[in-house]
Order: sequence, then structure tokens, then C-alpha cells
Amino acid sequence: MDNASIQADISSIRNPSFPDERLNFALRNFRQSKETLVSDFLESRIKESFHQAYSEIMDYYFRMTIEESRTGQSLFKKGTLFALVAVGGYGRKELCLHSDIDILILFNKGIPPQAKELAEELFYPLWDLGMDLGYGVRTVKDCLSLSKDDFEVLTSLIDIRFICGASQLYLRLIEGLQKKVIKKSASSYVKWIYERNDIRMNTFGDASHLLEPNLKEGIGGLREYHHIMWMAKAFLNVREPEDLKDLGRLSDNELNDLQDSVKFILLVRNHLHQLSGRKNDRLNFEYQEKIANRLGYKNLPKFPAVEQFLSTLHSAMESVKNIHRSFLALHLPKRNMKVSIIPEDISKEILVSDNEIGFISSEVINTDPPIIMDIFEQSCRLGLPLSLEARRQIKEFLNLVDDPFRSSERTVSCFLKIINGRNTVETLDQMFETGLLDAFIPEFGMIRDRVQFDAYHIFPVGRHVLETVANLKSLSRQKDLLLFDIFVDIKNHEHLFLAGLFHDIGKTGKGHARRGSQICRNILKRIGYPEKWAEEISFLINHHLLLAETATRRDLNDEKVIIDTARLIGDIERLKALYLLTWADSKATGPRAWNEWTENLVQELFFKVLHILEGDELATPGSSKKVMKLRSTLKRRISGDIDQPDFDRLFDAMSPRYKLNTPPADILRNMEMVLSFEKEAVVQKSTAFILDVREDRYDGFWKITFIGKDRPGLFSDIAGVLALNNINILSANIYTWRNGTAVDIFSVTKPLDSIHPSETWEKIISQLKNIFSGRLSLSYRMSLKAYPSILSERKTPARPPEVRIDNRSSDFFTLVEVFASDRIGLLYLITRTLFDLQLDIRIAKIGVKGDQIADVFYVRDLDGQKIYDENHFNEIKDALLYHLSGKL
Amino acid sequence: MRKIEAIIKPFKLDDVKEGLSSIGVKGLTVSEVKGFGRQRGHKEIYRGAEYQVAFVPKIKIEIVMDARLVPEAVNVIREKALTGQIGDGKIFIMPVEEVIRIRTGEKGEDAI
Repeated sequence: MDNASIQADISSIRNPSFPDERLNFALRNFRQSKETLVSDFLESRIKESFHQAYSEIMDYYFRMTIEESRTGQSLFKKGTLFALVAVGGYGRKELCLHSDIDILILFNKGIPPQAKELAEELFYPLWDLGMDLGYGVRTVKDCLSLSKDDFEVLTSLIDIRFICGASQLYLRLIEGLQKKVIKKSASSYVKWIYERNDIRMNTFGDASHLLEPNLKEGIGGLREYHHIMWMAKAFLNVREPEDLKDLGRLSDNELNDLQDSVKFILLVRNHLHQLSGRKNDRLNFEYQEKIANRLGYKNLPKFPAVEQFLSTLHSAMESVKNIHRSFLALHLPKRNMKVSIIPEDISKEILVSDNEIGFISSEVINTDPPIIMDIFEQSCRLGLPLSLEARRQIKEFLNLVDDPFRSSERTVSCFLKIINGRNTVETLDQMFETGLLDAFIPEFGMIRDRVQFDAYHIFPVGRHVLETVANLKSLSRQKDLLLFDIFVDIKNHEHLFLAGLFHDIGKTGKGHARRGSQICRNILKRIGYPEKWAEEISFLINHHLLLAETATRRDLNDEKVIIDTARLIGDIERLKALYLLTWADSKATGPRAWNEWTENLVQELFFKVLHILEGDELATPGSSKKVMKLRSTLKRRISGDIDQPDFDRLFDAMSPRYKLNTPPADILRNMEMVLSFEKEAVVQKSTAFILDVREDRYDGFWKITFIGKDRPGLFSDIAGVLALNNINILSANIYTWRNGTAVDIFSVTKPLDSIHPSETWEKIISQLKNIFSGRLSLSYRMSLKAYPSILSERKTPARPPEVRIDNRSSDFFTLVEVFASDRIGLLYLITRTLFDLQLDIRIAKIGVKGDQIADVFYVRDLDGQKIYDENHFNEIKDALLYHLSGKL
Repeated sequence: MRKIEAIIKPFKLDDVKEGLSSIGVKGLTVSEVKGFGRQRGHKEIYRGAEYQVAFVPKIKIEIVMDARLVPEAVNVIREKALTGQIGDGKIFIMPVEEVIRIRTGEKGEDAI
């Protein structure tokens, strides 16, 4: 290019020339019409027809401009043929407000020098309006040779539409494309479309795009409709979607479904363009509510407008996706087929051909409707998809699915075989697409397209449910060892799969878990599922959020939280099923719902509950029932001294162990004592306590109940005072209630002076008071008592003392087990030593057998944590052994 | 202006958030974090395989506020996040040089 022509180029850009007034009129007319069109659209006077109308306004502008164009006129006079042709979305008349407009100026042979001027006259005014307009200037021959090499060009030319000029050029181009390009490279073109589709799925198929779908490139987006039409135009020589029906490629329903869906998506896209003020295909959160509003959705009590809108959109995109998928499959060049052996027992009405499974004719469905279920069962068993034809037939015959069909033994048994089969997910997916799943389980239809408007749920409910089942099914080849092991341990996988399939069946508003469990019970009853098992499944559904909610919202270091959870769940098999269901459900919800962070918390809860269920008497089914009954038993026997609020407060404060191990009569008495202790504590803050002493007439023992404020070292003080007075502790139940009150119950030997026992008890009470107020040193008194006396007879220990530390048995405590020969003061020694080591004794199980003791202390450090340090272990052992083998 | 970073137990988030908004804190950032301090992770055994949890899941809250509000905010966080057990977390306070609201370009306290 020489200097002069560059200069000319620049000047023409700076001074776009409008040759005459008519052109300005064309532009003015275009602007006016467009404004009217947009305001008509915004006021809903026109809806889906916007795209067509906008394209026509555009066409009109070009026709008027060409007619009056000086360059155009001079070309006509010279007899140079040319035509304006719309390309791409403009060619399809699918223009949205900010869509690109692509146009082609087509010449016959050779491009004349005036072509550039022509383009300027036509396009500059539009560019000045800020429109995105792309154009090409080519001969028919160029177009054909380019499209042979570049399928991108071919694709844009497939949608061309004549605007004005020499129509014979347009016709020659169409004919050329058909004869010279498409026929010769059909299979590589399909392969190309298929590859492009794969790339598109990789970019836009990821889950985050389901939250803010891309209306054009996303799954079920407009691009998939274009694929259908491109292939149809290329191979079936059709021009309009309606032709597909005439050719029998789409059924009446499918065509209507496709067209309605595309119209809806286009409508949404146009609103999106208008709202975002630019070409934008991604339906961002910020626009979703506004568009729902514009489309006239109204908030319902349990179903916000935006969720209704998204449901409709998802179901439209789902339709496009399904039709697209079957269409692609049908025209795909067949790839490495697996040779499958067609089983002999397949019924003769079902046909396997081309690695697809179908009916031999529609007639067989009419005469034997349950065969619809049979064919899915076969598909699941053989791993072969249903043919397009079979899917279509099923859709057309869905009205045959009636109540007897839904509860017949044959269909139900097929359904369960599918649930337990190898290709469950693929089969359920096909049942979902054909609508059979909704027909067979009508409750499913209520939720399938529901969408939750938040950043948390990435799938509409129906998809989410299938995704959950897919996760559960993947467990048998799960690489995560823990998940795999738990899965293998579960005896009945069918319950788990059914729970996965139905877990959100109640999702029509708040409280969906509970509602879902009821709905599921009805479904299982209808299909004649054994009641006992149905109960199990509906339990899982009712509590499918339990683990996740407890793990993130409750204190997992609170033993009561764990015990309550364990009691609710009740047995290990259920816990395992719930864990897997929680995992599968959360993972299918989205990355926010399941990540390593949540996994850690849920896992911690799982293990803690598991340990309780495995070993602890606190969570056996019997104990849960017992505690439930206890409340009502106590209420019935409640005396006038305890009022209702106090009763509730204290009952909730009691530790689970206390509730389980204490007779109701004692509980009521202890409650009264706690109440009077609380009164006393107001006056004497630190030293208040209550000591209750009774003789057990039958055993000759005494029962002491101490109530006071809990603190480390308390146990050792009590044990010390008793030892000081020559009283031996035979058993001890020490409890700390959740309000910080210690309730310690001892069974002890009788005082030495059995004629005046009360003197001893009074002495004990006053000594305790002195200890609490710092006026008596227990260790000093004990050392006096231990002073060697010639009178004291010391037996040699029958066995050397032994100390074991067990960190496995409890998630909340370190267990210190002590075995030694019994003697007065021994318990004081042990507890004193533990107190020295800064250990807080929360539970003590004192066992005396003959002259041997076997005591277990549940301890934590003063921070409330278990002991993990090896050195600390050894110190505990050595210190205890030293004191046990030494003298008092 | 000061920035408060608080590490708390996950289940205390709602309480802390409520407490802070009741004293007029307008916004905060929350992240799911993991770590350890005096509270260590633990080990589980299932069917012979060991599952080591080396880090404890926690919530981190970040708030930038006027320095005068800090003592009250710290009190609220302490009060709401306290269980008295190990692992209740920590609060860090640090000076903030400048705050800019991206949308408007406002600076300083106006941007908080």
C-alpha cells in the first residue's frame, strides 16, 4: 500500500461522508424504529418477537441505504452484481439488543475498487451509533474455498439469509455450499462440531456455570440449538426447524418443546442485554431477580419469584440439552464400539441394534405398558442406552403410566433392580429425561426443576438428586479409603441408594427433611416396600442434615452434644449410612457445602458418635428410652417444693451419666438439695455445700451425697476428710452438672462409733467447712495420721500396684486406671496425686473387690483437653506408683 | 483505624456476628481456616487405617473499625466466643494505614 492510499484511508475514517439526505433519513428511521421497539419490549407489548422485528428493522435500513447509495448506484450502472447477505445470528433472525451484527457483501467475480466505499456508506453510520458490526467482502468462489478449509466460515455461512441485491449470487452460494462443500466433508464437519462441543462443555460445563448459566454457550444454551440446526441444514437440507418434524426427525412434542424453550431463552437473553447495557450471555446473580420481575413472576409464600423463573429457565435449557444430545448421538460418526453379547433371556419385544436398545414397535408398549420399565432395566443391566426412537416412544406413551403401573410387582422389581444395578445413574438419567421418573414417582415431578436462589446450591433439585445418587454409587470404587471402608461395612446398600434418591423429595419449602420422610413413606408404601425398611429409609431422610448441621453449629467438645446425637441416631449402621448420605448430598450441593474444612468437622463428629455407639452404655437404645421416660416419670412424682421452671432447668443441667445411673427417687431428692444449695450459695459464695448422709439398712453401708460448686481437687478433699475419720469409700459416683454443680454420691463403710454415728458426720461436715475456708490443712492432718504406730498392722500387698493410662476409650477424657490393695486413705492419695498433676477428675468408677481396688478416673487437664504428652503419661504413672507403694 | 482478626470456634460464628452487629459493626469478612495452637489435631483409626487430623477447623473473622470501637468489639467477641475450653481462639489487633472503597474512591472512615 502506498502513502497516498493510507492517507485516503485515514481521511475517510475521520470524515465519514453521508452522501445525501435520504441516507440520513434511513439512519433516523432506523434509530427511531429501534427505540420504539425497545420501549415496546420493556413495556411487554412485544416479547419473543423482538428478535425477528429487530432483524427486520436492520434489513430495512440496509435496503434503503443501498437504494440511495451513490456507490451502489454506480455499481448497478456498470452491471457489477452484488448482494447483501446476513450471516450468523443476524442470518437466523435471532438478534438481541446488543448482539453482534454480521454481514457479507457478496460479489460475483472479483471485488471492484468501489467495494470499500460501499462498505463505508453502509456501515459507518452504524459504527457511529456504537453498534458491534462485522462485515466481509467476498466473491462466491472465495466463500466456497474458505469454507472448505475453515469450518468456522462454513458454520457462519450455513445461516446466511438474503437481504437485498442480486439474489442469484445468494442462490449460487447456497447451492455451492451444499454441493461442493458439505457433501464432500460431511463427516469431518460433524466431527468438528462434536469436538467444538467437547471444548465448550469443558469451558462452560463446570458446575459454577449452573448458578449463573451462560445462555448462549452453556449447557442447554442457544449454541446447542444452533448445532441441531447446522447439522440439519448440512445433512437433511432443511431450512426451518419445522422441516425436522416433516422429515420425522423430531416429534411434534419435541419440536414444540424445542421452539418454546429457545424462544424463552432468547427472551431472557434480550432482557439480560438490556439490563447489563452490553452483549452479555452470562445470567449473573444481580440480574436474576430483576428479570424474574420483568417476566411477571410473583413471589409466593414458599416459592420466591426468582426461583420460579430459574426453574422455568432450567427446564427450558434441560429440554434443549436433551434434544441436542440425542440429535448429536444420532449423527455422530460411530466410534470404537464395544462388542456386547446380547443375552438370550432378553424379551423378544426388545431389540438391541447398533449398541442401542429399543422396542420392535410402538405396538408392544400399547399392549404391555410395563415394558417401558423393562427396557430401562435391560438398559441398566446391559449398559446400553435407549435409542432415540425408543425415548420418543416412551415420551409419547407416558399417559399409560397409571396407578396400577406404579404399584405393580413387575415394574417395582425392575425399579429396584435399576437402583441396585451397575449403570444406575445412566439409567436414572434416561428415566429423568424421558419423564418416566416423574410419571412413575409423581412426587418427583414437584421438585425436579426447583432451583434455590443462592450461591450454595449449584443444581436444580432434580439434577442434584441424581448427582447425589451418582456419588453414592461411586462409593464402591471410591479411592478415599475411609469412605470406601464405611461403604463396605454397610449391610444394606439399597436403603442408602433409595434414601439418596428421595432425600430431597420434600423440597417444596422449609422443613423439607421432615416432609420428605413422610412423602417417602407414602411412596415406599405404594410400591409395597417392607414397612420396617421403609421406616429406616425415612429416618435417614428425616435426619439427612443432622451430621452436617451438628458438626458446623454445635460444640463437638461438649459430651452432651455427642451423646444426644448418638441417642438420636441409635445404631452404628444408621450412623454410617447417614455419614455417607451427608457426604454424597453435600458434594452434590456444591463446593461450598463440602470441602476439606467441612469434611474435618463432620468426620470428627462421626468418629465421636461412633465411639459412643460402639462402647458406651449411654447411647444404647435402652438408655435413650430410659432417659425419655425419666422426664415424665419425674414430672409425675414432682413434689410441691420444686416448681416447673426449676425442674426444667435442673433436668437439662444433669449430665447424661447421672440421669442414667441414678434412681428417680434420688434424683428428686438431689434436685431439692441442689435448690437449697443454690440458696445457700448466694450467702456464702465459696464455702457453701450440702452433705446428706443416710444409712442403707440392708447392706449396713452409708450413703453420702455431697452437693457443692465443682472445682479441681474437690474429690480429693472429700476423700481425705473421710479417710481422716477412718471411713473407707466403697464406691463413688461423681457428676458435674452443666451448671457447674458437683453432685458426688458415695457409698462408704459405717463410722467406727456405730452407736453415735451422727457425731462423726457432724465432725466431717465441720472439717469440710474448715478445709474449704482454708482453716484446715488436709495434707498435714493426713501425715499426722500416717505417723507410724506400733499398733498399726500392715498387711503386705497381695499384688504390686499397677497404673494404666488409656487414651482410646473416650474422645473427651484420658482414663487413668489404678489397681492396688485397698486401705483407708488410698483414694485420697490417688486423687491428691492427680490434683497435683493439674488433672481434673470428671468421672470416677471405684471398684472394690475384696481387698483389691480397681479404680478408673476420667481426667482432663485444666484446659479441658485430653492428655497427649508421653512425658506427662510417665509422670502420672510414676507419681501414682510412688505414692501407692509408699506410706501415707 | 484498627483491624481486628479473631480466630474462633466454628459454631460460635453466629453468636459473634450477632453480637458485633448489635454494637454497630457494619461489615466483616469470614473465612474457613485451619491451624493449631495449644489445641492439637488428633488421630482416628478405622479398620486399621489411620486418619490424621493435623489441623483443627476454625473460623477467622476480619473487621476494620474505628479505634474507639475496638475495646467494645473485643469484649463482645470474647464474651460470645467463650466456652472456657481449650481452642476458644485468639484476637489480634493491628493498625490500619488507609482504607479505600473501590467503587467510590472514598477514603478513611467513610470507606469502612
